[in-house]
Amino acid sequence: MRLPWKHTVRETGPQTSAFERLALPLLPSLYNIAFWLSHNAADAEDVVQETFLKALRGFDAFEPDSNFKAWIFRILRNTYLTSRSGLAARRTVALEDELNESGEFGPAQIPEAAIDRQTPETNLLQMADRAALQAAMETLTPPLLEVILLCDVEEMKYKEIAAVLEIPIGTVMSRIARARLAVRTALEAQQGSSREFRA
Amino acid sequence: MSDHLSHAILSALADGELTPDQLAGANRHLAACLPCTSKALYQSLLKSATAKAGQRYSPPAQLLERLASPASRTNSQLQQSGLRVMQISPLRSMGRFGSLGWAAAAALVLVTVSMFFVQRAAQRAERASAEHVALVTEVFDQHVATLADSEPLQVISTDRHTVKPWFQGKIPFSFNLPQGLPSDTTLDGANLTYLHNQPVAQLLYSIGKHRVSVFLRQKSGEAEGSDMPTDRSGFHVMGFSSTDLEAIAVSDVDPARLAELVSAIKHAQTGDRQESK
Repeated sequence: MRLPWKHTVRETGPQTSAFERLALPLLPSLYNIAFWLSHNAADAEDVVQETFLKALRGFDAFEPDSNFKAWIFRILRNTYLTSRSGLAARRTVALEDELNESGEFGPAQIPEAAIDRQTPETNLLQMADRAALQAAMETLTPPLLEVILLCDVEEMKYKEIAAVLEIPIGTVMSRIARARLAVRTALEAQQGSSREFRA
Repeated sequence: MSDHLSHAILSALADGELTPDQLAGANRHLAACLPCTSKALYQSLLKSATAKAGQRYSPPAQLLERLASPASRTNSQLQQSGLRVMQISPLRSMGRFGSLGWAAAAALVLVTVSMFFVQRAAQRAERASAEHVALVTEVFDQHVATLADSEPLQVISTDRHTVKPWFQGKIPFSFNLPQGLPSDTTLDGANLTYLHNQPVAQLLYSIGKHRVSVFLRQKSGEAEGSDMPTDRSGFHVMGFSSTDLEAIAVSDVDPARLAELVSAIKHAQTGDRQESK
């Protein structure tokens, strides 16, 4: 995949004010994603700080007309992957290999029972509990978590997400669908366990 | 109707990512298929809920401070802020000034080291304060969500011998519940919930008609300031920490009555464990 911001020729020196104007408004989003992925404040700060540093260093190679948000999020993602928490996550879960990257779901990945068990109304009731939803999101593997955060929280288009994660759009689509199914399954499991105890 | 919309198509529909042809086909199908319409609605609701739940962490103020204008700062400021890329080689600068340079360099090192420790202490204090604010925000949100939630508590009991054992195997620590509670105070039950990604016990009490949430979690070591009473939107937040546990209580009840309950729970952790189990 050709990335539009990848330039080999340096045109100008670092433009700090332009960089700040573009990067600082994204700090809350970058920190939020970094914290979700690394699971602690100190690592999130380190990842964000290193991301800013790398982005500032490489800013003169950034093409002004291309997507700065996608560019800096890609730096953040790569910084996380090589960070302590990112490496630890990769030791415990295969970031790329465990997923079916075909872009389509086979019957084995979608248990119909999970889909038809509840009505949207009951799911809506459950989703009103923000803590339960956050707990469900915490059960996602990093590849599913990052794609759902970029799509739903950062409101990125599939094309932008594909550029950030360096994966085909079809894979983005399948991962998002898989992530939502996993969240739903986790929510159902939570409801099931609480019902079980009360019974 | 045999060919229902796939999960991926329903998901892309919620994201507005279908091509015009796909969208037209999906709309035709939805017009005639109630189950898929229901699933499409669910996808939209889930997307909206995930967007809200995903906005969870805010950067501490000192991080923003550190990252703003890095290139316009002096080298010493960069050293303090942790951005080390623009440092000038100290050996090169020392060679220019001879012995006077060595003395100046030594003084500079002393000043820099002192500044580093001062800055570090200030950053720690700021971080502790920011963490406390984040913690208060999170417990406040969870308490309000519990009050608004129509779902019953995960364990409903006024009996501490029922509530405490329910957490066995669910949280990596144990705690005691007080035998005697302040007047007009009752235990309603508890939830297993999460604060900063750590499992915590949320105990629900009633003081008169006021509900109280008491969050008990394992002490992290870096958690400071949980004892600081705080007010937020008419709710009072106070807590304590013992050797292994950290507790934080939130309610709109009179602060003095909340303090009585917090004190009883604290005493249960530090007092005669046999009596309070």
